[in-house]
Amino acid sequence: MALLELEHVAAGYVEGIDILGDVTLRVEPGSITGVIGPNGAGKSTLLKTIFGFLHPRRGRITLGGHDINALAPYEVKRLGISYVPQGANIFPQLTVEENLQLGAWVIKQDRTRVAGRLESAYAAFPRLREKRRRRATTLSGGEAKMLSLAKELVTEPTLLLVDEPSAGLAPRIVEQVYAQLLAVREQGVTILLVDQNINKAVQVSSYLYMIERGEVRREGPRRDFADQLHAIVRDALLGA
Amino acid sequence: MSGVSPLARRIAWSLLTFAALSWLPLAVSEYHTHVLIISLYYVILAASWNLLAGYAGQFSLAHHTFAGIGAYTSALLSLYAGVPILIGIGAGVVVAAIVGYGLGTLCLRMRAIYLALATWAFAESIRLLVSVEYPITRGDLGLKTALLFGTAQPTPYYYLFLALTLASLLVIWRIVHSRVGAYLRAIRDDEEAATVMGLDTFKWKRAAFVISAAFAAVAGGFQGHYIGLLSPTPMKFNEMAMIIIMVIAGGFRTFSGPVLGAVFIEFLSEELRAWGEVRMVLFAVLVIVVARAYPAGLLGICVAVGRWLTRLMPALAPLLATKPPED
Repeated sequence: MALLELEHVAAGYVEGIDILGDVTLRVEPGSITGVIGPNGAGKSTLLKTIFGFLHPRRGRITLGGHDINALAPYEVKRLGISYVPQGANIFPQLTVEENLQLGAWVIKQDRTRVAGRLESAYAAFPRLREKRRRRATTLSGGEAKMLSLAKELVTEPTLLLVDEPSAGLAPRIVEQVYAQLLAVREQGVTILLVDQNINKAVQVSSYLYMIERGEVRREGPRRDFADQLHAIVRDALLGA
Repeated sequence: MSGVSPLARRIAWSLLTFAALSWLPLAVSEYHTHVLIISLYYVILAASWNLLAGYAGQFSLAHHTFAGIGAYTSALLSLYAGVPILIGIGAGVVVAAIVGYGLGTLCLRMRAIYLALATWAFAESIRLLVSVEYPITRGDLGLKTALLFGTAQPTPYYYLFLALTLASLLVIWRIVHSRVGAYLRAIRDDEEAATVMGLDTFKWKRAAFVISAAFAAVAGGFQGHYIGLLSPTPMKFNEMAMIIIMVIAGGFRTFSGPVLGAVFIEFLSEELRAWGEVRMVLFAVLVIVVARAYPAGLLGICVAVGRWLTRLMPALAPLLATKPPED
């Protein structure tokens, strides 16, 4: 059974205008599933709808078979879905460690367990350990991105929604971010990755969806996408 | 005092502060004791409004109204139903908390300026209601209240308010330095990020709203039974403006700032009583200058002076050990 399933989901911000028109997709447990598409295709809206910022107007979203259509973000989070939005989703006035603690606290108030989670976050992101007492505002763009990822991982999610992890980062940092995503999957966390960086998304995902104007245009295993990468990139750029 | 929990240390400090300030009524005139009591009343209002506006970022303009709700509830209950004063004050706190819950439910999904407008409209409505319901509240003529200690002599009230203020500050300090305090600051700094983190932001904002309303009602209730006369005048916007001025002048978003600001502004306001309403202009200028040039406020000045003295006389260092203003 798929971990997450969307069936004919439609959603949007303003009444009468659907950003997502009809999206059906499945995320298999333990996989990285990629969603690619041009600007304005509805990729971020898709994640916001799954996380409960928006509610589907039509269709159904299920997690492990349970309907999560009507849940608020904090309820979705409690079910084990974490969301890493675009940019750095951190509290700049708090220290690195406080950011991590806050992330863990909200879900679990078990001190020893939280301490353990922080320790494994530091093991995965050594730069964060070095800067644990510094305010998050002193972090570089790449470090901030690592922190926003680590902040979600301390809550031990089963499914991680990741929006444009490479946006605005230097190429060298981009490599590290995707390496981290692969490492996270190795730990058994399922990932739904939304990305404009088609090359990278195809490299790390095992199954991909391409959406355009709120609808799925193409789907298939990595192999299908890798073979036709040129044509896909061209189509995406031209919006054809 | 290492090995002692921060809370225990805080309690010890509160007791010491009480002892250290307990000689004051013996040394100053009755009039100044009265001014001290009113200062302490404002310390509770300023600190609790700062919890809501400074730490949680919810800029309510109805804080003075909750003090009024507490005061009138208690006064009316003791007048018409013969309810003992302390139970009346307790009832006032409960009523303020319930009203705060309702108002919070209606308003806290609004952002910034809309929240300010909605709470302001609420405040004015309650004030008009109190004014107009003349047969019950005696409107602008004023409602006589029973005196808590049966006397208007301020000394016992000073000790009461000193204890009340220290206890309130202790509770607020505890909230600010707890998990909940961290949630509130997270919501203030970036509500969307706090939601992504998994916080039910609305619930926590409303909790802050209810708590601050309850504190205002405690202060208002006791103050009513000290002054002996209630009127709708302190429910005017001027009163809210005073609370804001105290918090900003003292140091917005800091723990001790509102305490310093409330005492300073109340005394200044008394000294300048002859100036009448012109004082408000002066305070407005003060707020603009502080907000523009020195957001750390009076607390920031104290900290800077402490550092300067430490540099001048390193021997003083342990005495003047100052932390930077807390966020």
